[in-house]
Amino acid sequence: MYLYLPVALTSINILIPVGLGLAVGLLSGLFGVGGGFLMTPLLIMFGIPATVAAATDSNQIVAASTSGTYAHWKVGNVDFKMGIYLLIGGFIGGIFGVHAIKILQATGNADFVIKMTYVFMLGIVGIYMFVESLNSMRKNRSEKADKEEDSKLAKLLRALPIQTRFEKSGVTHSLLLPLFFGGFVGVLAAIMGVGGGFLMVPVMVYILRMPMHVVVGTSLFQILFNCIEVTFLQAYTNHNVDFILAVLLLLGSTVGAQVGAVFGRKLKGEQLKIILAVIVLVVTVKIVFELTLTPSLLLAQSGGH
Amino acid sequence: MMIPDLKFRISNLKSQISNLIAAALTVLAVIYSVPASAQLSITANHDNITIDFFYHGSTVSVKGVSEPNTDLIIKISSPEGIETLKQKGKVAGFLWMNTGTLHLKNTPNLYSVHSTKKIEELLSREEADKYLLGYEALEKHADLSPVSGEAEKTKWFEEFIRLKESLSLYKTSSGTISLTPDAGRQKYYIKTDWPYQAPPGDYLVTVYAVKDGNVIEQAGAHVNVEQVGVVRYLSDMAKNSGAVYGIISIVAALGAGFGVGMIFKKGGGAH
Repeated sequence: MYLYLPVALTSINILIPVGLGLAVGLLSGLFGVGGGFLMTPLLIMFGIPATVAAATDSNQIVAASTSGTYAHWKVGNVDFKMGIYLLIGGFIGGIFGVHAIKILQATGNADFVIKMTYVFMLGIVGIYMFVESLNSMRKNRSEKADKEEDSKLAKLLRALPIQTRFEKSGVTHSLLLPLFFGGFVGVLAAIMGVGGGFLMVPVMVYILRMPMHVVVGTSLFQILFNCIEVTFLQAYTNHNVDFILAVLLLLGSTVGAQVGAVFGRKLKGEQLKIILAVIVLVVTVKIVFELTLTPSLLLAQSGGH
Repeated sequence: MMIPDLKFRISNLKSQISNLIAAALTVLAVIYSVPASAQLSITANHDNITIDFFYHGSTVSVKGVSEPNTDLIIKISSPEGIETLKQKGKVAGFLWMNTGTLHLKNTPNLYSVHSTKKIEELLSREEADKYLLGYEALEKHADLSPVSGEAEKTKWFEEFIRLKESLSLYKTSSGTISLTPDAGRQKYYIKTDWPYQAPPGDYLVTVYAVKDGNVIEQAGAHVNVEQVGVVRYLSDMAKNSGAVYGIISIVAALGAGFGVGMIFKKGGGAH
């Protein structure tokens, strides 16, 4: 059955957005990512204008991440305190990011710099996560060596002021740490026009040393607030949110997020990490292909990622 | 009728002469226009296409009567406008990315031309350009920037056509108009798919009768596409009250997220 989308000004088979929502929601609930990397290009492929695809996806993520946060919160896997500090950092970072992108655009080759940065970041993060989780799965007991190795870094981090205990995550950090890294991811997310879940999850796992299951819940909590902000700005300034498309997507994604959260509980932290690492690497390869294969059309509607 | 009048009012020569000229012009106009409109007529079956929730495009059939043994060209187009598109190109020799922005002027958003024979066979270049028939004429009329020279204009205009055709907004066909003789004249008929990608607006359908490389007559009809009901309401709201629309979208998403979360709790999803 087809439905007409009043803002996208196109007609779509309802099974497509519901199915896409389900798949992307599953990833959300499992790994704590928004899934925009997958959703936006797929929506464009199905004929949704790029700007509407990106804006509507953020509206949909509000629903999916609410559903996912709720599911993780029920089993005590959301560190609200950490989430809020990361959000504050991310908010400030986002403002810098928007300015950075203006400067980049003025230099002319913004797209090149952004795409290259993104590919390298994803590639490095993916490979690191993959190798690390593979190693720790192999030698679960020989963790002592690792711990001693990064004790210097740990010492340095402990020397920072305003040390605070994050109960849910079971870690103690300086407040500056989540603020700084939240800001760092915020800058990059704003420049690349993506939600930043792919970068935030590794930051929480490897730098903030949070347990994987808490990372997923906390990341979703953070994404929820980011996407509320983005949805409002998109609706208010660009008039690009398609309510009907968002409803169709969230029918699938809210359910998918619940299923993902339940499924995630059955997996160990290491298993989750390695699957996420594979997904990050697949996305990297996909972007490399997109960049090197001759596109079928050399012109495209403006907007989108 | 006018001639006896003239005899009676011979005294007022000045006004009489101007009356005469006016009358002559009227007669001339009648002679030329009446048979012309009698020869070529046009009707579009759908002059008002409404977009509701279940809209998935439509079909428009165009029919009418023309002088026998003339070729016909039917053009459906939207008013000309401007478009801004992203250009892709190679960077560093092997990477495809957005390399610039192309601005187009004087191009219709929707353009479809159907003819009894190929346009090149029917019309001289000048006539095709004059009536904007065919992609070549459209290209000459369009204004592209930035392009350096004709070759680059042609290259990007061809890309533009490919994009438009991929969206079903541009279309050309020949030999698709059916002609049947009818009492010394001919009836024509064509049925075309109306793409759901065509936005609401007013579209012009024009039929051109062609003989010996020239357009000898033309006639026009309108197709109006408009949104109705909830589709229209949501579309207007998104445009005119973005803040309220945004808040409603967010609240609905939050509600849906919590709602589904509750359902799963009751369903025993938690371990």
